[in-house]
Parts: sequence; C-alpha cells; structure tokens
Amino acid sequence: MTGPVTRPAAPRTDAERRATYRRLSPLTPVVRGPLLLVAFLGTSWQQLLGQRDRGLVAVLLAGLLVAGAVYGVASWLRTKYWITEEELRIDTGVVVRRSRRIRIDRLQGIDIVQPLLARLFGLAELRFDVASGSDREGTLAFLPHAEALRLRRSLLERRDDLRGPPSVPSAAPTAEEELLLARLDLRRLLVSLALSVEALLFGGLAIATTAALLMTGTEVLAGAVLPAVLGLALTVGRRLTSYYGFSLTSSPAGLHVRRGLTALSSQTINPLRVQGVVVVEPWLWRPLGWARLEVSVAGYRTTDADQVEASSTLVPVAPRAEVLAVVRHVLGSERDVEAVSLAAPPRRARWLAPLGVRTMALGQDPRLLVSRRGVLSRRLDAVPQERVQSLQLTQGPLDRAFGLVRVHVDSPPGPVRVVGEARDRDEAREFVGEAMGHGGAARRLAGWPPAQPRGAATPPTADTSQVNSPNPSGAESSAALPAEDSPAT
Amino acid sequence: MDELFTPPGVIWRRVSPRLAVVRRAMLGAAAVVLVGLLAVLAAMADVAAGEVVLGLLAVGVAMAAAWWLVGRSVRRWGYAELDEELLITSGALVRRLVVVPYGRMQYVDVHAGPVDQLTGIATLRLHTASPGTSAVVPGLPVDEAARLRDRLTARGETRAAGL
Repeated sequence: MTGPVTRPAAPRTDAERRATYRRLSPLTPVVRGPLLLVAFLGTSWQQLLGQRDRGLVAVLLAGLLVAGAVYGVASWLRTKYWITEEELRIDTGVVVRRSRRIRIDRLQGIDIVQPLLARLFGLAELRFDVASGSDREGTLAFLPHAEALRLRRSLLERRDDLRGPPSVPSAAPTAEEELLLARLDLRRLLVSLALSVEALLFGGLAIATTAALLMTGTEVLAGAVLPAVLGLALTVGRRLTSYYGFSLTSSPAGLHVRRGLTALSSQTINPLRVQGVVVVEPWLWRPLGWARLEVSVAGYRTTDADQVEASSTLVPVAPRAEVLAVVRHVLGSERDVEAVSLAAPPRRARWLAPLGVRTMALGQDPRLLVSRRGVLSRRLDAVPQERVQSLQLTQGPLDRAFGLVRVHVDSPPGPVRVVGEARDRDEAREFVGEAMGHGGAARRLAGWPPAQPRGAATPPTADTSQVNSPNPSGAESSAALPAEDSPAT
Repeated sequence: MDELFTPPGVIWRRVSPRLAVVRRAMLGAAAVVLVGLLAVLAAMADVAAGEVVLGLLAVGVAMAAAWWLVGRSVRRWGYAELDEELLITSGALVRRLVVVPYGRMQYVDVHAGPVDQLTGIATLRLHTASPGTSAVVPGLPVDEAARLRDRLTARGETRAAGL
C-alpha cells in the first residue's frame, strides 16, 4: 500500500504500479455499515416504533445489520483502484459494476473529508474534483488518513508534472512548504456566530417564548415556536462544527482549507481557477470591522447548499485588513482590489435606489473589475479582467426615463457578482468599451495567445468583412487599441 | 436607434423579419385559443352581450400591444461580429447589449422549432461558463445561422482561453 510518494514518482515505478490495484481500508464496511443503519432508522423509525411485537423489530434490525455487513464486505471486495501514469481508475459496484477513470491532469482539486465515525477509526474519504464532468465527482471512501494525505500529494504532484511547467505557479515544488494565510481562533468564531442573524433570532425567540411561558403559562405558544428555535440553533451549531479549527494555507499545489470539529474536511483549491472574490461585511460585524471572504471557483460543484457555503468560503471571519491580504494572495500581487478607483452612480440614481445609492460603486483597472454595494451588509466583488465571461448592459423603461443603465459582469456560478446598478448611460458605455479592451489584453497576457496579430483572424467571408475603423465615439474604439497595454508586467 | 445599445462604427446585422411573422402567427394562434375558451365559458355561464364585447375588446387590446411589441423586439434584435467579441443587442421594453468574447464561448447551439423550419429561420444561442450570459439571436436564416455558428466556433478555437 505504501508507494513511493514523497517525490514525483519516476516512470519506472509507474510501470510497476500499473499492474497492481489497491483496495480501500478494510475497516470501510465497519464505518459504512452503521451509516446505512442510521439512514434506515432515520427514515423509518416511526413505523418501527408503531410495531407491537418488539421481538420482530429486533429480528428485523439484526437481519438488516447482517445484510448490511455482507453488502459492505462485498462492496469492499469489489472496490479497487489503480493509479497509472495518467489515470486514476476506480472500480466499484456489487451488482452493477462501474469503472471510473479520472485523468490526473484534469484533476482540479482533491478534498479530504473525515466524517465523525471515520475519524474515530482514523479513516478519511478522498473526493476528486474534475471540473469538466457534469456528473458526480469521483470518491474513494475510506482510506487511512495518512495514506489519503500521501495519495493526494502524490496525485497533485503528478498532475503538475503532467501539465508541465507553465501551470505550476511557483518554481519550488516542495509540497510540504505551506504558508499560513488565515487561521480562525475559537473566540472569534463564537463571537461572529453570536453576531449572526440566526443567533440573534434564536436568542430573541428563546427569550420571548420563555417570558410568554412564565407570564401566561400557555405551552401552546412554546410548542409552535420550538421547531423554529431548534432549527436556528441547528444552523448555528452546524456552522460552529464546520468552521471549527478553520485554517487556510497556501502551497505550490494550491490553497488548502482545513476545518471541522466532528467531521474534518480538507479542500485544495487551485488559485488559477478562482473566477472572482467577494469580501462580505455582514451588518452585525461591521462595528468590529470583520469580514468574510468567498470565492467563485470554476467547476466546483457540491450538491447540498451547506457544502456550497462551506466550499466557497476562504475566510469565514477575520478583520477586514487580513481578508484583503488573503485577497491579494489569491488574486496575485499585481492585482490590488483597493487600488481600483470606484465611482458612485449619478445623483439622480437615488430615485431608483434611495438607500443603496450611497454605497453602490463600480470601477475597473487593467486587471480587475470591482463593484461595491449593500445597504446593511456591505460587499465588495472583484473579478479579474481575463475571467469575464460576458458583459451586459440592460435598461428597463424606468432606467430609460432617468438616463440610467445597469452594467453586469457575468461570472461562472458562485457567490461573486460584479454589477453596477443605475449607472449614467455615457459612463456605462465607456466602462464597457474599456472593459472589452482590458479583457482582451488580459486574456492575451494570461498566456492563451491568439497566434495571429489582431484583426488578421477575421475570416475572409465576403459578407462579414468588417469596417472596424477606429471610431472615437463608439464603445469599440477602446477595444481596438488594447495591444498597446499588453506588454506590461 | 439608441447608440448606447447599438454602438456605431460596426456593422450591425439584423435578424430576419420572418421572425416577426412566426411570432405573430403564434400570437394569433394563442388569441384564437383564448377566444375559443372565453366563448365556451360564456356559453356555459350565460353572460350579457355587453360583457362578451368587453372581453373581446380586452383580448383585442392585449393582442395589439403584443403585436406591436413583437415588431419592436424583432426590429431591435441584432448582432455584430467584432475582432474579439460578439455583440448582441435586443429588447422591446428592457433593452440589452451583451458582449461575449469569442474565447469565452463554451459552445454554440442552433435550434429551429417546427414553425421556424416552415419559414426557414433558426435560433442561435451562445453558452459561456456563466449561466447569466443571455446571448441569443433568434430569427436567423438557416444557412446564415450555420455560417455564423461555424465562424464563431472557429474564432472561439483560435482565441480559446482557459477558465
């Protein structure tokens, strides 16, 4: 089971490995079985309790346990994985066989997750994030924790080898060297949770119901409110357990997020796939100057909403200055969110957005598009110019009456949305023209070269010959010039 | 024409007026169905003649408004191919300009429904990695739609940019 893993393995060892498959930890059925049982009990405990004959229930449960154990062992026997030079292959399935191949160079990240029970046995689950796949990502559950770590490191190193030098962000490939970017201490986590809307609602409701109970003595009200109170408490509690011990580190393999109290999770995010960042300042945190950092990562999909929240959060809570330092690290030193000058919408925009107009702002520089908004909670969204998917101007009848227009920067799915509401129409036009120019230059700079010089690639189809002459008033005029900006950096 | 949404200095290509014919035909069909339903309802719960006239009038006004909106929408729909981006302008009430860099296109769809096929038009749709991108050009003559799709795909390849 212990492969040569600390260094990128030589081709010879690949050849050796190719023939031999590996198995998951033999403890897997032990960990899996109770999970199945719990799932079964969770869905059908009411029917079971309704049964008169307790002996029957016991027999049923015992049978279930045995069946689960048999299935678990069979499943373990039938699950194998191989690592070849270019592929990770996972074969699973007792009745229906499934063989999944994951190209190592397509791996976007590998997460390590430890549910509580697995953690007790020192096991961990590996989840492979393959951005292109539309179906579920591959998983390996469960492996001994140390082996999971080794496997992840060796796979990520292999990936970087396969991709070649250009995609490795820094020259020194020592995966052990990790730079600590952010760490969350318990005190701050507790304070930040106490200062959340859910916690306040929980406290308020709890106090109100207790008071009502004491004064009037009617339990009816408590019964009605109790589920809501419990739900709120659960939400807060889940955040506590999922963000407990949060740390963000950086290594040549990517950004690593580790967190969790009962279930440990460790994610790796490739900074090259970060599509944008957003610094959120919830209104209750603003007096303390705290903020949260979330990112949009291309192709990062998780199924349930809670996971999404967790997986897009790079810093759950920290002073704003620290958050901005992480932003600089994630986006690269040449992009400075704070250096981008933001412009407020014109005064007449207050007729359309009486409250929001005071905080709304939009701006760009050759590297970034940035917007700020929010009445109570503030947010600062930033998207690198080369990551823009499309730009949109929209204007409804009301906007039109005021000579205003909405500027929208489209990004892949995620929390980040750079948008400028109620902009002056002439300014918006200039903004889009400028963004087109910067975007083209930034995409070329980012190393996806259009081989031909600008303009030569227009196909010589007769009816598309374009008169793209420089035009001082049109939005395209600035799009026709960006070659001048590109040699920077 | 509003220069904000159709910036001058580029060649704007308009969608086929046949799109208006198709949409108005569908509108007419919807009106016929609506009137039919109203007639059945009126027959079942016997209503006064005045109310029938009022109902027909309401349908008529709604149809006229929709008729006018369709015309306006089709007249305003257009696209322009720049060196690096495709521009699409549209909107009868809410006006819109979409700028899609060729390198950002993930794929291009050409779709023609049964009624579209009768009149020989098709709808072209650009997909980027963002679900927010609403880059649609309806009412393209079929061969023009295919040509545009091929041109866009070719440009997307030469300017392909990783995510």
